[in-house]
Amino acid sequence: MAGPVAYLQLGMVFDRLCLIFRAAVMAALALPCLAQSGGESFFKAEVEPLLRARCLECHSHAGKIKGGLVLDSRAGWQSGGDSGPAIQPGQVGKSRLIEAVRYGNPHLAMPPKGKLPAAEIAILERWVAMGAPDPRVAAAAPVAAKSGVDIEAGRRHWAYQPVVAPPVPALQKDPWPHNEVDAFLKRRLDQAGLVPAADADAHEWLRRISLDLTGLPPTEEEIADFIADDSAQARAKVIERLLGSRAYGERWARHWLDLVGYAEQIGTEGKVFAEHAWRYRDYLVESFNTDKSYQRLVMEQLAGDLLPASTPRERRANLIATGFLLLGDVDINAIDKLKMEVDFIDAQVSKVGTAFLGMTLGCVRCHDHKFDAIGLQDYYGLAGIMRSSKTTFKTPHGIWSNVQRVALPILPEDEEAGRLHEAQLRPKRDELAALQARLKALPTKAGPQEQKQRDELSSRIAKLELAIAHGEYFHPGRPKAIAVEDAAQPADMRITIRGNPYALGASVPRGLVRVASWEEQPKIAANQSGRLQLAQWIADARHPLTARVAVNRIWQKLFGEGLVRSVDYFGVRGDRPTHPELLDYLAARFMREGWSPKALIRLLVSSRAYAMRSSAALDGRLAKVDADNRLLWRMNAQRLDAESIRDAMLLASGRLVSGQGRPGLPLEFAENVSGLPITAKSNHPQFAIKTERATQAFERTLYLPVVRTGTQPGSARLRDIFDFPQPAQLAGKRSETTVPTQSLYLLNAELIAQRADDVAALLCRGAGFDERVGISRLWLRLFSRPPQPAEVQESLAFLAQVRAEQVRAAKPDEPQAALSELARALMATGEFLRRP
Amino acid sequence: MIPPSAPFSRRHLLQHAGAGFGAMALQGLLQAASNPLAPRRAHLRPRAKRVIFLYMSGGPSQMDLFDPKPLIQRRHGQSIQAPLPDRDKHESTERMLALGTEIPVRPRGQSGVTISDLLPHTAAIADEICLLRAVHADNNQHGPAALQFHTGALTEARPSLGSWISYGLGTENESLPGFLTIHPGIDTRLYGSSFLPAAHQGTPVVLPAKASDPAIDFLTDNQSDVGSQRRRFEFIQRMNRRLLEREPADPRLEGMIHSMETAFRMQSAAPQLVDLSNESPATQRLYGIGEPNTDRNGRALLLARRLSEAGVRFVQVTLDGWDHHGGIRAALPKSCAASDKPCAGLIRDLKSRGLLEDTLVVWSGEFGRTPWSQDLSRTAPIEKHGREHQPDSFCSWMAGGGVRGGLMHGQTDEFGYRPVEGRVHLHDLHATILHLLGLDHERLTWRQLGRDYRLTDVYGEVVREILA
Repeated sequence: MAGPVAYLQLGMVFDRLCLIFRAAVMAALALPCLAQSGGESFFKAEVEPLLRARCLECHSHAGKIKGGLVLDSRAGWQSGGDSGPAIQPGQVGKSRLIEAVRYGNPHLAMPPKGKLPAAEIAILERWVAMGAPDPRVAAAAPVAAKSGVDIEAGRRHWAYQPVVAPPVPALQKDPWPHNEVDAFLKRRLDQAGLVPAADADAHEWLRRISLDLTGLPPTEEEIADFIADDSAQARAKVIERLLGSRAYGERWARHWLDLVGYAEQIGTEGKVFAEHAWRYRDYLVESFNTDKSYQRLVMEQLAGDLLPASTPRERRANLIATGFLLLGDVDINAIDKLKMEVDFIDAQVSKVGTAFLGMTLGCVRCHDHKFDAIGLQDYYGLAGIMRSSKTTFKTPHGIWSNVQRVALPILPEDEEAGRLHEAQLRPKRDELAALQARLKALPTKAGPQEQKQRDELSSRIAKLELAIAHGEYFHPGRPKAIAVEDAAQPADMRITIRGNPYALGASVPRGLVRVASWEEQPKIAANQSGRLQLAQWIADARHPLTARVAVNRIWQKLFGEGLVRSVDYFGVRGDRPTHPELLDYLAARFMREGWSPKALIRLLVSSRAYAMRSSAALDGRLAKVDADNRLLWRMNAQRLDAESIRDAMLLASGRLVSGQGRPGLPLEFAENVSGLPITAKSNHPQFAIKTERATQAFERTLYLPVVRTGTQPGSARLRDIFDFPQPAQLAGKRSETTVPTQSLYLLNAELIAQRADDVAALLCRGAGFDERVGISRLWLRLFSRPPQPAEVQESLAFLAQVRAEQVRAAKPDEPQAALSELARALMATGEFLRRP
Repeated sequence: MIPPSAPFSRRHLLQHAGAGFGAMALQGLLQAASNPLAPRRAHLRPRAKRVIFLYMSGGPSQMDLFDPKPLIQRRHGQSIQAPLPDRDKHESTERMLALGTEIPVRPRGQSGVTISDLLPHTAAIADEICLLRAVHADNNQHGPAALQFHTGALTEARPSLGSWISYGLGTENESLPGFLTIHPGIDTRLYGSSFLPAAHQGTPVVLPAKASDPAIDFLTDNQSDVGSQRRRFEFIQRMNRRLLEREPADPRLEGMIHSMETAFRMQSAAPQLVDLSNESPATQRLYGIGEPNTDRNGRALLLARRLSEAGVRFVQVTLDGWDHHGGIRAALPKSCAASDKPCAGLIRDLKSRGLLEDTLVVWSGEFGRTPWSQDLSRTAPIEKHGREHQPDSFCSWMAGGGVRGGLMHGQTDEFGYRPVEGRVHLHDLHATILHLLGLDHERLTWRQLGRDYRLTDVYGEVVREILA
């Protein structure tokens, strides 16, 4: 209260003191002679009408119950709201109701629309001073108990039940199923009287599996090889080829990044770069390519820094993996650092809940979960774990913070790169020293000639200093990662009332979510953050959610919809599994087979269900029984995601450069970095993409920089158009929208015109161009199938029109230009954007 | 679990549109099922059909423009004791010097709404203006504050105000999106639709410096002539329809064909709309078009009127240059000169066309500025000081559809720091805007991860005192 009192003008302070004093004196004088009934009559005459007029609209059972507080009975203000009892009878200064109406505390000012007249405040002060006589008994039922999360009852929800592998249905003499997946699906279809769709043809299947596993359509050669292979292993060979490709890791790493909020920018203010973020992206690519077990992925991403490592390389991967916790959105230029900290903790708790567990934990920051049995205790148990890890630091100057970087063990390749880099820096340093010496040697008494020399030297020195500072800042010999470490002093966290870090409740011991636990909480030593225990709990085969959620995510990427359609939310209000036995069978098998993503994918794509057509005619019966395809009687077609649209255009036009992973932001160009060299007064250096790396227009979209504010740079712009999730959003399943801005892009974007030119040039190369061959090859490259005769006819007519136009306009009749027009049209069609 | 939007299947709509459209007529529902932007019926009787939001990016100084404070004026240059929590104290403001207003703010018109001499054109329409003098928000940094002003949330990416309105009401023009944002800043989240179907996201419009540049990204293809564009378009659609025959179960294809058609229509409709040359010279003058200070904003606001008139639900125009940390006495008049005539011109123009009665115009920054000065150099004389950000109280105004013109609502303390009466949190402002459009902010919801989300989260009260 010191602040607000100081702020009041003296006169006001005096008035107020008088008021309080008067009320207190009156109360003291009045109390002995005021019998209970006297207090009650004062209440009835003065207080109750006031409460009714000013408070009860928002604080009563008849109205709203804001902040959990009701003032329509004595019990209401006694038990109070979220921030505790509203009145301490007799203690004016300690009663929150009085604090609120006095308007001294901006976080607690009531009524919200404006301060009460002084006379009314005085009535309330007097009433409290009197001991708050209040004869009203609760007329309505009391507010539901605040600590009332029933864990046992909550556990009855299917997703918190243990995973138990059911027997595989034995389908007598049914030739349809190819594997266990099919057996489960077919039993449900039989029960519903539905018939699975016909098998997709070879071209369709190859396009589907190539896009699903690698994000790229098949090449002409791959199509030809597959069609020519009539061995029984033809499909299995394709599956192994795709699973073994680097492109597989690139595709599945990006799926995981959608759950991380990954970007190469920190926060949204300014353009602060996350210069090491790419290491985490590349860690994921490598992890998927080497088929790291999912269990291990969980452990490393949550607690890699706390795991033993047998080699420096392993240690390094472990550290990089913890970037998972840091590479989300954080408001680093918040003045209010306490709020920033609890907001970031909240983002981490929410992310762990969504990505690994399919739980929405964010709501529980303010109140017990309304639908799931998750209480404040669960949330703040996890929040304490996050709080006990170092994640951000404040810069010495100004108001900025940044996320934590740690030095990585140095590998031989870093030493080599460092040596090369030093070799480039050395002459610059030498030149700098020489120039500085020359500057010093210049006579101090400067004539115009010397002054000119001096200026020239100074400007060269400044440029060199900048180049050296840049070279030092991005020194490849000293690798770092954006990564977590345990805090020096781990500590539990106190509940923040309604998420307000200045209104604190009880302290909660670090711990795990009870409803999804199967035994007592693990011991977290005072000097540990608890991240290791958290990781072990999530990666435990007994965890009811981990394997189910992971398996369902993989299923969704292959079949278009999850077995649980709400892939990020398995709670009470989420979708129930369409095939609960199949989900559990897969979860159990996944764990039994070493949590191998590749093994699971192999099983799913080898199924007959995966090979069904997506386009079975929707007859009246099906429309009635299962138009939504919940029982999976056909495959779900999907629209290509933003990455695949761009990558497929690059591949078709022969321009795709296979990336090997490195920073997305081209920070090696000094002009892209401002704010160097760092001084005592520096804020963060920032980026601006003035120069693009020459190869970036042709690398896979995964490797292009992801920014948090503004449109995505360069050709990554396509992401903004085709439903790339904003990096602040976690999205296990991307939205798939169809909006006119996409059509405008398809009709008019220069990027598409360029790729169309490229593919036309490629097809016209060499002597004897044949339009029919050109059309056929375009179809294979863009749609992964040969054209039908009618399509060839229409295309020939189109080409003829374009060429006639060229002649009319007295331009040279160029088959390549005409073919480019055709390619451009085809790249804008629904079929090019479609994974069948 | 982000839903696909278009074609907006009936199932999908039923699943996600929570109680929001429970009462909606079946006819409307079926209509919406085929097109997410189809016009929809409101919850309540609407007082306005469309919104033009004039966003003063940077945070205009409320006491210099609308809310004069005699105490600050008296104490100019002296230190004042203000109720500032430690976490809000800065090196550059720690001296807490009262910074008086140089140019007078006076009562105007019949109503006496107080407006600065810096805004003479706005002053002349004072009786149309409903001035909110105790608006407040929760963050004092541009990024989060702007995000909160546009989406209600401080850090997460939530649907923006315009997206909610487009979702709630649809569009009345088939060739245009329901939400356009003219000269937006770099933060795309301010007009994003987040989990709402992407059809409701804002389409950015930048008035081109050259006539050949498109105002909307990818709107035109400068390399091809109209004939070849049409030929290509027709070929694409023929291929799409053929695919639809082969794949009747794919609900996406019909939407693709529909959206391709809209895009092609937009290509011809939008450039005409953006072309301001067929507006009369008198109208152009009204907005200050052709004058060096006001040309850019004048064009933007005239375009806003044209889009609004053409049936776009929510048009936003961003006018920047209000972030006066230093030298406010020199800089503020320039910002005022660049925006005053265009903003007032818009109100006059809407009124003379009979559009003001069902168009709601909202003028606001993301926050206001402190009554005490800021001096980043720490050596400048008080006359060269500026003001720091202040979300605790600031001024916004509204005009048109359903609000009481010539009204001042709310009051701040004698410092101009904290609201003491008629507080309007920006959640309340959002609730009120929706209310005026006939949307109940508690019923306009979208179910996401099992929870019904709304623009106002769990907050917001309609400010009934300002309703006409």
